[in-house]
Amino acid sequence: MTELRLEGVSKRYGSGEGTAALRDVDLTVRDGELFTLVGPSGCGKTTTLRTIAGFEEPTAGTVSFDGEPMTAVPPEERDVGVVFQSYGLFPHMTVAENVGYGLRFRDPPNGTSVDERIAELLELVDLEGMGDRDPDQLSGGQQQRVALARALAPAPDLLLLDEPMSALDARLRESLRRQLTRIQSTLGLTTVYVTHDQDEALAISDRLAVMNDGQIEQVATPRELYHEPATRFVAEFVGDNNVFDGTVRTRVEDGARYRVDVDGTTFELAGVPAGVDRVSFCVRPAALSRTVERNEISVAVETSEFRGESVHVYGRWQERPIVLRLEDASEDELTVGFEPEDAHIVDAW
Amino acid sequence: MSPLDRLPSDRGRASEWLEHHALVAVTLGTAVVLVVMLYLPAGVVFSEAFVDDGLPTLGHFTDVLTDPFYFGILADVFAEPLAIGTHLGSLAAWVGAVSISLSVGYPIPGLDVPVPWIGIDTPGVRKGLFGFTAYQAALSTIASVALGLPAAYVLANYEFYGRQTLRSLTILPFVLPGIMVAVGFYAMFGRTGTLNSLLGAVGLGPFAFIEANPLAIVILAHAFYNAPLVARLTVTAWEAVDARTVETARSLGASERRAFRDVVVPQLAPAVLTGALLTFIFTFMTFPIVLALGGLQLATVEVWIYDRIQQLDYAEAATLAVLETILSLGLTYAYLRYESAQTGFARAPSPPSKERLIPDLRTALSLRRLAIFGYGLVALLLFVGPMASLVVGSFTDGSGFTLRNYAFLLERQLEGASFQTQPWPAVRNSLLFGVATLLVAVPMGVVISVVTVRAGRRGRIVDTLAMLPLAVSGVVFGIGLLQGLVFGISLPGGWRFQVTGAVAIVVAHAVAAYPFVTRNVSPLLGSLDPAMVESARALGASRTRAMLDIELPLVANGIVAGAAFAFAISVGEFSSTVILASGSESYTMPVAVERYLGRRSGPAIAMGTLLLIVTAASFVVIDRVGGRYEL
Amino acid sequence: MNHQRRTFIGTVGSVAALGLAGCLTREDDANGSSDADPEPEDPDLEGTLTVVTYESMIDGENPAGPWLKDAFEDEYPDAELEWVQLPNQGIGHYIEQARGNQEIDADVYVGLNIDDLVSVDDHLDDGGLFRELNEDRIDRSSRIRDGLDMGDPHDRVLAYDTGYISLVYDENVVDEPETFDDLTDPAYEDELLAQNAQTSDPGQAFLLWTIDAYGEDGYLDYWQDLEDNGVRVLEDWTESYYGAYMNEERSMVVSYSTDQVFATDEGHDLSRHQVAFPNGQGYANPEGMAIFEDADTVDLAYEFLDFVLSNEAQAEIAQRNVQFPAVEDEYVDLDDEFDRYAHVPPEAVTVGYDDLRGNLDSWVDDWGREFASH
Repeated sequence: MTELRLEGVSKRYGSGEGTAALRDVDLTVRDGELFTLVGPSGCGKTTTLRTIAGFEEPTAGTVSFDGEPMTAVPPEERDVGVVFQSYGLFPHMTVAENVGYGLRFRDPPNGTSVDERIAELLELVDLEGMGDRDPDQLSGGQQQRVALARALAPAPDLLLLDEPMSALDARLRESLRRQLTRIQSTLGLTTVYVTHDQDEALAISDRLAVMNDGQIEQVATPRELYHEPATRFVAEFVGDNNVFDGTVRTRVEDGARYRVDVDGTTFELAGVPAGVDRVSFCVRPAALSRTVERNEISVAVETSEFRGESVHVYGRWQERPIVLRLEDASEDELTVGFEPEDAHIVDAW
Repeated sequence: MSPLDRLPSDRGRASEWLEHHALVAVTLGTAVVLVVMLYLPAGVVFSEAFVDDGLPTLGHFTDVLTDPFYFGILADVFAEPLAIGTHLGSLAAWVGAVSISLSVGYPIPGLDVPVPWIGIDTPGVRKGLFGFTAYQAALSTIASVALGLPAAYVLANYEFYGRQTLRSLTILPFVLPGIMVAVGFYAMFGRTGTLNSLLGAVGLGPFAFIEANPLAIVILAHAFYNAPLVARLTVTAWEAVDARTVETARSLGASERRAFRDVVVPQLAPAVLTGALLTFIFTFMTFPIVLALGGLQLATVEVWIYDRIQQLDYAEAATLAVLETILSLGLTYAYLRYESAQTGFARAPSPPSKERLIPDLRTALSLRRLAIFGYGLVALLLFVGPMASLVVGSFTDGSGFTLRNYAFLLERQLEGASFQTQPWPAVRNSLLFGVATLLVAVPMGVVISVVTVRAGRRGRIVDTLAMLPLAVSGVVFGIGLLQGLVFGISLPGGWRFQVTGAVAIVVAHAVAAYPFVTRNVSPLLGSLDPAMVESARALGASRTRAMLDIELPLVANGIVAGAAFAFAISVGEFSSTVILASGSESYTMPVAVERYLGRRSGPAIAMGTLLLIVTAASFVVIDRVGGRYEL
Repeated sequence: MNHQRRTFIGTVGSVAALGLAGCLTREDDANGSSDADPEPEDPDLEGTLTVVTYESMIDGENPAGPWLKDAFEDEYPDAELEWVQLPNQGIGHYIEQARGNQEIDADVYVGLNIDDLVSVDDHLDDGGLFRELNEDRIDRSSRIRDGLDMGDPHDRVLAYDTGYISLVYDENVVDEPETFDDLTDPAYEDELLAQNAQTSDPGQAFLLWTIDAYGEDGYLDYWQDLEDNGVRVLEDWTESYYGAYMNEERSMVVSYSTDQVFATDEGHDLSRHQVAFPNGQGYANPEGMAIFEDADTVDLAYEFLDFVLSNEAQAEIAQRNVQFPAVEDEYVDLDDEFDRYAHVPPEAVTVGYDDLRGNLDSWVDDWGREFASH
């Protein structure tokens, strides 16, 4: 199987300075891992994927599969399977012909025949018996699965998925997502998944990279990323979060905590680095609780959404938007607090 | 495992290499052909515009731009570009003198049918030769689009007996030599022409259609050539309209008219505008037809280029030609910017179904059907009329029916001496060159489309330059071929670079023809989802293979239409053929028409009729053969 | 009659384009002496004579070319006559070749006009391209009528036939115009068809005729009057005659004085084919033949020129090509039919070499600009 590595990859469009789509990207995707690139549109995630596939040539840096440099290898010789947002099905070929297209260039694995392989793949994506249809006779979700089957048919070393779900409705997306992760883990195939949807990214990934403005902000497991965002951008982008900027005042007596002043209100925080004047810290909605009586703030409620297990409350404290997750909330104004250890420092200077 | 290890072993290295480099090879071949057969000949003459007594100069441009004969009132602006106040003052004075009036006019010659007429009375503006040329080209473009679109509508939306054949024959006017069109128009619309004979049979006329308004008849002649071009381009696009998009719009509550406007029109617009652009460029550079029907008062820039060339004033001819080319390429670039902004994605072809034109008598009498039949009558008069009148003319003389013109052709074929022009070699050469042109021009045009269609601004510039064959004065190109290729260019070491003969003719035709392939293919190619090609490549297909497997089948309509144009251009081409064929046996049908033209026009008209019949048959065959590859 | 339609590309030649200015060497002519070809003791009458000529001499209906070849080869059994079709660029093709120092592989040129010679001399050295003829070697040259001397100061050309430009009119609609001034009368309003002098031979001839009649200073005023009276100037003879005139758009056209020969042949009513000679004149367009300087078979070429002026050849050329013979009447026998329908003007005018040289281009240019001003 395959380990994918990007080292110092940069991409500029246009001549001279041009616009930088990627700046010095370093990345390692481990063998058999489902790795997600997530970020807002224009952050460079799709460019990264296209560079891995060979559709874009990096201006600087190298791409290697299992230590073998790939930068000069054309896409058709890289042994990657790609599924695009628009699927890119060939409208003049049947479903079976689409799935079998890659087998014109590479023999099916394990000595199976082309027809067997096509049947096998259609079964894998639950499209048995659909081989003779034209792609435009299928629903969006079915087309998406044909595209997946087509990408998998030649048994690629690497599977690349570029926003494969974004054209589908939410319910279908979830069921396909499960199907995809099932197939991926069954095959143990190294997979790079691009999405702008951070919920989706957290849900399916072994590890993920958050990208912003052509750079990687953080690479981590979903859990790490959620609880310990490395940058303010990651903190705000991944999941709901409450971010505060404050001035460091004094060290608390026991030495492990500091007092931090945010617009006249003083909080006690853990984990502040020594010798800094200012910090940005975040507190996840679930960490703000009515039962905690430290670091209290008084939130003016604007709206609340009932979500079954919990209620999402959106309000303001001193003009800042605040998100809470409570069991129940009917007040117009409520007071919540957090433990110093639940605040996570994302920036300090 | 290295991906290279997985290459199939049963294919030879050579064919592997070829496939990987085919696109590059054809691109390079195209570039070489363009340099030798286009840039070299055009450059040889164009360079004269920038040289005076061996020194570089822009003086020729200053002379032409500030000559009111060429640029009318703009000449003042060019002479003093910074005197903005003065120019604005004259503009304001001009606008102030415009008056609008309502009156009743009698626009139809000889018929007292009053029509309310809004007269916009503008004080005379000196247009100059360029201004007038652009003016008549604009009018011709409007007329060609107006007459071409209904044909496209009928051919794309209705099923009727002979539709396929009619569709094939739409480009027939394209191959007719200018002189034949002129004679055909006189024979159809002249005072004793076919139309007046028909009207006379019901007691009307005769009307002086041609004398009444020479400019109008020139514009109709331009429409005769170019409306079929607009129609053909539009039919191709219309048949590629995705019917599902219309159905979606209808299901969302759009009326039929609204769905047409919102869904169909945007899909047709690139084709219609391509047709309009080509028509404008062609009619801007129109040459024989204007003076043949309209007279010297309607002279255009190209007429003056020809005159300068005859007087060996190459500098002025080249200057005028360079200005023509700049104008044409500027328009082309502007259009291509528009076209690339229009490209949508992933149109799976699902062509609209065709309605029967005459399902029953009741429907046949509906307003829309009657309008179609009315248009059909106009088309019959304008397009079929001149050609039919030519054919009739080839069988008649002062004493009635005669076969002597065909007897002449037969006798010349059977008994002609070797130094005489014979009909069969002309037919054979035309067909051979036509097929060879098609085989060369289609790959050239397709490759240029493939290379430029997604290459952004740089691609657009290449694409614009690739349209140069349409934007270079035919007269200047002819002289360039003569000086650059027939007489040859001296190279160091005593070598002389010369190109003539059949191969040169085919390549010259291909150079003239490939832009039609490109313009037919590019919009379709631009509308394909790039994910299709990229999926294919990720699955192991080389760029060439992806083009052959995915792109070409999906743009087959455009390729077949382009191929038909390429054939038509080759068969109809005269000016470079006659130069490259001189002194050889490589003459074609239009050249034979020209050579048979003597004090009696009969033999030439008979040869022209033969040209019509042979090309009509060829178009039907091309479309039938090509139709198998269409979607 | 030389090409009714001027060739598409016309005369060509620019030394600057090829960068070969000054490379042209002309050994035999440098001192400008008049050493015409001396009479050889033992003329070489074997080999192939390559003759360049225009389309209708060989490609028209029943042209004279094939007859000339057969008859000439009968008379000179060791010789072969090879016709070569004049390239589309006309004389310009050879001017260009001469400037490029390329060898011209032709011996004789048949169909030379006065303005071709002017063009040769404007773009090559004076008296270039063709040999100065030694008329002593062409016995029959003395038969050529007075008035058909083409005026070449270098004696390179001999006329072999001529045509006359005249007016052809429909006597059912208009009376015969007696003078040029008549054409500006209301009686002829919107009746006259002419051709573009920039591109058409009869068009240029008619323009030169008006210059002969009204002078360099007066012809543009005359044309202004013609324009006010509705003259229509079409591109070429074919459109104006077979297009406009034959479809009765108008009742008068600038054409050839041999018009009735064709009209009779085609079965047309002669009332629409009346020939008028305004001012009692017709404009003569003599056609000449010349020997290329590079000719390989000079002796044979001289014999050919002499042969073309023989009785029989003159009659065949005249009747097949429908042109008038160049020789005096006593040296040629024409059918009565030809005499009856081919009309000769009472007075023939032509603007000679000396007047054309240096003026032709600007005359035509001024005329064209007057017409095409928008």
